[in-house]
Amino acid sequence: MKENVSLAFDSYRSDEMRGGLWKFVGLLIFIAFAFWSIDVLKIPIERVLGMFGRLGTMISERLLPPEMAFAAEDRVVDSIIETIEMSILGAVIGTIITMPLAWFAAWNVTPSRAILYPLARAIIVVTRGMPTLMWAMVLVAIFGFGPFAGMLALVKATIGFAGKLMAEQVEAIDMRRVEAIRATGANELDVLFYGVIPQVWANWVGIIIYNWDAQLRNSTILGFVGAGGMGLYLREQISIIEYQTAMAIIVVIIVMVVLSETASHFLRHRLY
Amino acid sequence: MTDAAIANPLRDPKETFRRYTIFGVCAVFLLVIGKDIIIDETDWARMGTLAEMVKTALFFVPEWSFFPQTVGPLLETLLIALWGTILAVTVSVPIAYLAARNITPFPVLTYPLGRGLIILSRSTHEIIFALIYVSALGLGPLPGILALATRSLGFLAKTTAEAIENADPGPIEAIEATGANRLMVFCFGVIPQIFPIFVGNVIFQMDINIRRASILGLVGGGGIGLMFAEVMQNLYYGRAGMIVVGITAMVVVGEFISNRVRQRLI
Repeated sequence: MKENVSLAFDSYRSDEMRGGLWKFVGLLIFIAFAFWSIDVLKIPIERVLGMFGRLGTMISERLLPPEMAFAAEDRVVDSIIETIEMSILGAVIGTIITMPLAWFAAWNVTPSRAILYPLARAIIVVTRGMPTLMWAMVLVAIFGFGPFAGMLALVKATIGFAGKLMAEQVEAIDMRRVEAIRATGANELDVLFYGVIPQVWANWVGIIIYNWDAQLRNSTILGFVGAGGMGLYLREQISIIEYQTAMAIIVVIIVMVVLSETASHFLRHRLY
Repeated sequence: MTDAAIANPLRDPKETFRRYTIFGVCAVFLLVIGKDIIIDETDWARMGTLAEMVKTALFFVPEWSFFPQTVGPLLETLLIALWGTILAVTVSVPIAYLAARNITPFPVLTYPLGRGLIILSRSTHEIIFALIYVSALGLGPLPGILALATRSLGFLAKTTAEAIENADPGPIEAIEATGANRLMVFCFGVIPQIFPIFVGNVIFQMDINIRRASILGLVGGGGIGLMFAEVMQNLYYGRAGMIVVGITAMVVVGEFISNRVRQRLI
């Protein structure tokens, strides 16, 4: 009996020691990794130490207070309106393209598992993976400066963002209703309109509103690469080192995003 | 029996009228916006013919031989994303502690503070944070890491605070009953309950941060974005195409791994 207890105690102790050993090894690996990263990224250690002081001076002396009068200038107000217009148009056109794609990309009801399903999935995955700002730069090179390129970038962003969410909703539907419609001899399009869409519509509307909210957030910085909207003035003011006016634009962006988030939250909860 | 004899609530004339009005107003609104953006604000003359656009687009066909040079910056991007996430995780826990209604220490003061920080972090684009940090700290990956951390701590703190608010009060009360102080209650009553959700969110955030890290270089935040900006400026469009392909591949693989790991966790 006594031996058993001491054996159990020994095994407990060795377990604990082994656990401690693993923690220690893990910590060592983490520290080694941290040093390796600092080396690879060429992070200047001496700058890290004085970082917070410099950030503090920067924010208190050069960024604050924001010169809000700049945001009330005509050209800036125009660019803000342009930003909102661009986000709505991009989201709407993107949604129109996304809806059939979400249907194709849902394994349970896709009209063709061999061709359309992989194609639609690939489009959604690639548009999700590609950074919107870079895509906007490419589009600006092709279509020139202005909100048209920005709008197309937002269409791309919508396909990636809403496409995945919408297809997930379609894959979660109740298949018995689809089968019931199929049993009447309906074709694929009938199945879509009478079996699928009535089930996902409420969720899709929520996704569409949420997506607009996300696109507004994206559209505020598209101007940075010349793709229309208020981002252009942000870049302009920063490049001429007028941080207080740039800060005014940033404040406007934050207010816009918070307002649109509140609006989208309110709309989604009213619709359900 | 004709159609008119059936009183179909969906065919109620008032309802139909209302629907068509809403639809019409939306359509007119969209047309006005569309005209403004596509016709008034776009310089179609400069764009040239469709053939010219296709020609420009074809310049972006990836130049595959450029791939070896993109590997280094891609790895750097991955590291920036990783360290940004690690920093965000460290900072988000105390902020979540402040912003969870049921455990915040001084509800009048700390709860609005925590929520405010979360809103500020979530509603500002990473590029804006990067701009501020770059202007204060100079170019390089350091401002990029800080920008990512600031950007993603809002999401992490928000989801963690929500998980804390939804945590089962039973274990928390049990630990309070032993006479434990606030910190001990948090460590032994709250953290074990929210840990799986937290880890899932961290992995999700890591995956999003890879995407975010890839554009930080456009404003001087280091990583592959810097290379992209240089290449675009020098009009090496084929190389730009290669970089976009590389980033897309990295993000897609990252998302796949993150989904797999999260599925196994839950």
